[in-house]
Amino acid sequence: MSAHAHNDSHGHGELQMGHHHVSSSAMFTNVLIVLLILTAVTVIASRIDFGPANMLIAMLIASVKASLVILFFMHMKWDTAINKIVFLSSFLFLSLLFIFTLADQATRRIDHPMHATKAKVSKEWAYPKPAMSEKH
Amino acid sequence: MSHDGHHSVVIPAPGPEFVPHTVAHHFDTPVQEFQSAKLGFWLFLATEILLFGGLFAAYFYYHDLYPETFRVGGQQLDWKLGAVNTSVLLLSSWTMAMGVRSAQTSQKQKTMLFCALTVLGAVIFMVIKFFEYKAKTEHGLFVFPHMFDNYQVDGSSNAGSLAWFTDVHNVMVDETGAPLLHGHLFFAIYVTMTAIHGLHVIIGAGLILWIMKGVAKGRFHAGYYLPVDLVGLYWHLVDLIWIFLFPLLYLVP
Repeated sequence: MSAHAHNDSHGHGELQMGHHHVSSSAMFTNVLIVLLILTAVTVIASRIDFGPANMLIAMLIASVKASLVILFFMHMKWDTAINKIVFLSSFLFLSLLFIFTLADQATRRIDHPMHATKAKVSKEWAYPKPAMSEKH
Repeated sequence: MSHDGHHSVVIPAPGPEFVPHTVAHHFDTPVQEFQSAKLGFWLFLATEILLFGGLFAAYFYYHDLYPETFRVGGQQLDWKLGAVNTSVLLLSSWTMAMGVRSAQTSQKQKTMLFCALTVLGAVIFMVIKFFEYKAKTEHGLFVFPHMFDNYQVDGSSNAGSLAWFTDVHNVMVDETGAPLLHGHLFFAIYVTMTAIHGLHVIIGAGLILWIMKGVAKGRFHAGYYLPVDLVGLYWHLVDLIWIFLFPLLYLVP
């Protein structure tokens, strides 16, 4: 059980689910306002050409927004250590998936046609029409 | 008395409009029941992160291979609708958080109101999504609806329309008008990710309706609000996924 200040009453002693953190409405509203502002920032940032950094910026803003949702809306800030470890470990395993997938891709031969990023191909080549069999 | 000799633990109702909660017999204390359920639910949410994580890995992989396909594909989506839906989900996350808070403080009417507003947000989101899907289907950019359209075995008409990506307006082309390599790929990833996300929105809305049934019966109050808390976590996860989907699909970097 996390040791934190809780402002709810514990009149029933152990006939409760335990220590609850009841957040103030104002806190939730502030988080919502920041999330909406960051959404606008995401749109504005996408309109500016930062080159390859655009992806990094978009993911950075999204990560900040996600952290706000997890910490405050999902109450993770006041949750137990085991729950924090269980949930956040999913991001650790996710990073393994990303690192190995993208490392594989980054170290492949690039002369394979599959890797031609702007190859001009006919529509027939890209979407071959299926062979139509005669009706017997 | 339960079979092992323990008394069933009952959490009393805080007022006449509420009902007491009897702790499941396999738990010794309300705290144990609460913490077990929370741990299990966080574990489930971790698997959800990994489910969507695989799809995000596919996105990043193909985005890196065919950046132009993804850039042009993203331009076919209306970012304004995406931004509206992002705001709707953020607002509904706020109403859900307020709903959980109302349950924690035994405010029955407010819990009901905030849950109803959250369901309203889910409905608005899915209605907007429906019209987006409809337009993309009509433009021949989607996988599912075109699978067997106009398929003639003898090939007498619409031969070749078995190909599900028809791109009737020829939008997936580069600046010279030549078709982009694997133009369907962006939309295949778009529809897979948003459809699985949309399924979560529908399931989430259904769970909130189930919570509202319990609220009406007075089941949730300061002493016991566990199901409201867990459904709230699920709803916030739906929001969490969309926070990443919006910039990646509508504002393709």
